[in-house]
Amino acid sequence: MSWVTWRQYRLQGTIAAAVLAAFAAVILVDGIEIAAHWHTLLVACAGSSACLQREPRPTLVNGVVSDLPYISLIVPAVLGMLWGAPLVANELETRTSDFAWAQSVTRARWLTAKAGWLLLAAAVCGGVISALTTWWSGPNNALQASAFQPGQFDTQGIVPIGYAVFAMALGIAAGTIARRTLPGIAVALGGFIGLRVVISDLLRPHYMPAVTTYYRLTSSFAPSGQAWVFSQGAVSKSGQVVAAGWGNVYSVLPATCQKLFNNVAPPSKSGNLAPLMSCMQANGWRGFVTYQPASRYWPFQGIETGIYLLLAAALIAVTFRIVRKRDA
Amino acid sequence: MSTAIETRALSKRYRRVSALTECTITVPEGRLSALIGPNGAGKTTLLRLLAGMASPTDGTAAILGDAPRQDPAFLAEVGYLAQEIPLYRRFTAEDHIQIGAHMNPRWDAAFVRTRLAELRIPLDQRVGTLSGGQRAQVALTLTLAKRPRLLLLDEPVAALDPLARRNFLATLTSAVADAEGGLTVVLSSHLVTDLERVCDHLILLAASRVQLCGDIDTIMAEHKVLIGPRKDTAPIERTHTVVQTVTTARQSSLLVRLGGPVIDPAYQVEDVSFEELVLAYMGADDAAAVRHLTTVGED
Amino acid sequence: MNWLVWRQYRTQGALALALLAAFTAVALWQGFQVASQWHSMVATCAGNSQCLRPGDLIRGVANGVPYLTLIVPVVLGALWGAPLVASELESRTSDFAWSQSVTRVRWLAVKAGWLLLAAAACGGVVAALVTWWSGPENAQLANAFISPQFDTQGIVPIGYAVFAMALGIAAGAVVRRTLPAIAVVFAGFIGLRYVIDGFIRPHLMAAVTTYFNVTGNFSPPGAAWVLNQGAVSPTGQAVSEVYGFWLYATLPASCQKLVPGGAPTKGASSSLNALYSCMQANGWREFVTYQPASRYWPFQGIETGIYLLLAAALIAVTFAIVRRRDA
Repeated sequence: MSWVTWRQYRLQGTIAAAVLAAFAAVILVDGIEIAAHWHTLLVACAGSSACLQREPRPTLVNGVVSDLPYISLIVPAVLGMLWGAPLVANELETRTSDFAWAQSVTRARWLTAKAGWLLLAAAVCGGVISALTTWWSGPNNALQASAFQPGQFDTQGIVPIGYAVFAMALGIAAGTIARRTLPGIAVALGGFIGLRVVISDLLRPHYMPAVTTYYRLTSSFAPSGQAWVFSQGAVSKSGQVVAAGWGNVYSVLPATCQKLFNNVAPPSKSGNLAPLMSCMQANGWRGFVTYQPASRYWPFQGIETGIYLLLAAALIAVTFRIVRKRDA
Repeated sequence: MSTAIETRALSKRYRRVSALTECTITVPEGRLSALIGPNGAGKTTLLRLLAGMASPTDGTAAILGDAPRQDPAFLAEVGYLAQEIPLYRRFTAEDHIQIGAHMNPRWDAAFVRTRLAELRIPLDQRVGTLSGGQRAQVALTLTLAKRPRLLLLDEPVAALDPLARRNFLATLTSAVADAEGGLTVVLSSHLVTDLERVCDHLILLAASRVQLCGDIDTIMAEHKVLIGPRKDTAPIERTHTVVQTVTTARQSSLLVRLGGPVIDPAYQVEDVSFEELVLAYMGADDAAAVRHLTTVGED
Repeated sequence: MNWLVWRQYRTQGALALALLAAFTAVALWQGFQVASQWHSMVATCAGNSQCLRPGDLIRGVANGVPYLTLIVPVVLGALWGAPLVASELESRTSDFAWSQSVTRVRWLAVKAGWLLLAAAACGGVVAALVTWWSGPENAQLANAFISPQFDTQGIVPIGYAVFAMALGIAAGAVVRRTLPAIAVVFAGFIGLRYVIDGFIRPHLMAAVTTYFNVTGNFSPPGAAWVLNQGAVSPTGQAVSEVYGFWLYATLPASCQKLVPGGAPTKGASSSLNALYSCMQANGWREFVTYQPASRYWPFQGIETGIYLLLAAALIAVTFAIVRRRDA
């Protein structure tokens, strides 16, 4: 049965391996350059974090190659569509199921072998791409403290493995239920994108309750390490919250503080916010930051991967049930 | 008499395989022609070339006096039914009727509806859920509804039960008769007895080449079985073409194509049945099959 | 022939229309919220441009919507374009369709014509909605000329959609099998967009480079597309940042002493002025290389034209194949 699977998928497997190799080559070359830059930075700054924290931060990542990790976000969906959806659907459409299921192999065993290899292939693809992207992003993450940000979080660590396995399972299930390849592909694509958006934007912030820290406006506070900041700004004595951004703040300030506003210049050159900050503080305003601490990065990775793997398992269970029970 | 089909050295090669080799045939208008041959002989290839579905690698073909071309008027004249019963599985028979009405200048929708009603095939059921035989009937009826002047049918009765087969062939013969020379049919099949009953013209392919092409009556008159003692057949071969030799211990029977009168008194001359004739030509091996051909019965 | 197209695509067309309607509803609802927020901000700030600092106009999920629309062309090309010819050949219904009294050319012209039109319409509607919805954000951040704003607004999405559809149709005709054709659409579309986006678009017209005093200030007006900026030494050595790590190493020692050691907190300290004066005294200048905002529509037009031309070439190839090749 493994041989049968290999024989059916060897062309696609070869192509996928080739594309993966090309991706790896580009990322490796660029990543080595980035790493060299980074080491220069580290050596010159000799461990002084203030040196590294200068604004504006040094640029490490160049525009063109840096798009590749974002493009890799779609890889799980494509795998699920092109390999997963036709798994059962294509056999049913072309009636080769009449051949395959009349051999001396039970349908369950047939599905186990084929789906098993495809899910494994998806996990491997997801893992390889993630490993490369994580290594490549290392210096940039350290510099920009961005590993926990949406975008970076999705393309590094272990969650891409979860996405890939889920997308494959979704494709297989969709094709099995629809019994036709094209609708299966459409459902796999739509379902994957929809679920990713919902989980990333609506669920992920709440895996654990966020931490809110208040601080004096005349000093400063930034969560240490690579935290995930949801919102920051100022809160008045009466509890009125204003998100960071002067346009929002201006209108709710007392007049005494508003007068100080016109002295504020764009932050890139000289400009002095101190008087404004003191005024606000005197009027009972505090600063706040709501965030997930950097220490929660791996727990979040684990939770999200777990969610996707659980969904994948459920989909595969449904697929097995259908393949075993339904008329061919 | 005008010809419906006339080909000269029509050939089709796929890389290393020759599916059809130097096919030269003539089919006069108004004939119901049987296209016979073993599997892989080139019947489907020939029909697809004539229908314009594929283009030849060599040679020419003239359909109803013109080379096949992409032209609505020309396409309306030729009807083609492929072996795989090409219908849209998710569409109903009624949908196919509508499609035909929109895509053809002449379309007899009433004929399709009446005929399918007679056959008790529902019009509003998805074609993919009908049985194989029912699908074949739908496809055949749709092809006829186009009212073409030339019909090319690739094993149309293969999936039909014996009664349905007879029924369909009866429809076909009466359609040809009613058209009074305006409808020509080329029909490929393995069921030789059916074809003998219904057809008046024969095209026989074997090993990608044409072995026989002509009116059946003429062909039958030209072929005899010579039964006689075992002896040297060289004298016979000087005048006639020996198609097949069957020898027993005491006698041999030769199926020959007459090149003149049979003078040798040692031989008894008998008629050959259509089926024996066809089988004999189909069984000819490659070496013997490479023969120079003449079309029989041409005016 | 038009009836056949309708009959074959009516379910999918309805589905697509429903999705488009849902997207429109969400975009309109979100867009009106953002617009009203923007208007109250503008009114309160009463023309004080400092007041209009970037705030959280658009939050969370909605932020990602323009990125999602990047995928619309690919979906159209993969799910509708690729099966057009390939599916008919795979299931042999081409034997039925092409033995009616309609030439292959006419058959393809009508089917492909409607699909390309639908692609253009989808692309146009989505682009129009995203453009309108992004209005406030564009005004506030002046980012219309930057990817992905440039890619999801204006008229280029129409070019992308038509191109992806043509790519799908051509791939299906060449490969003759639906699934490989879909793969070609994904790989080809993403690959081409990546190449044109990253390597060709910046050079559609020669960029403008403006030099100015380090102690002064210059940023290209309006929604320009800044390709590169930084400081250039008297010897012509350019560094792509102003006051940053890489610059430090190239500064003369007299100026290096003036680089503040700690991180600026709330707003830069005024000692930077001394650094800038030093740099200027040593012959340094700042530069910005950019495409001016006025070139936004020419760039939109050129890029759309490129994609439409490619689409036309692909369609021409498709016609040649469908006419000549064996069914």
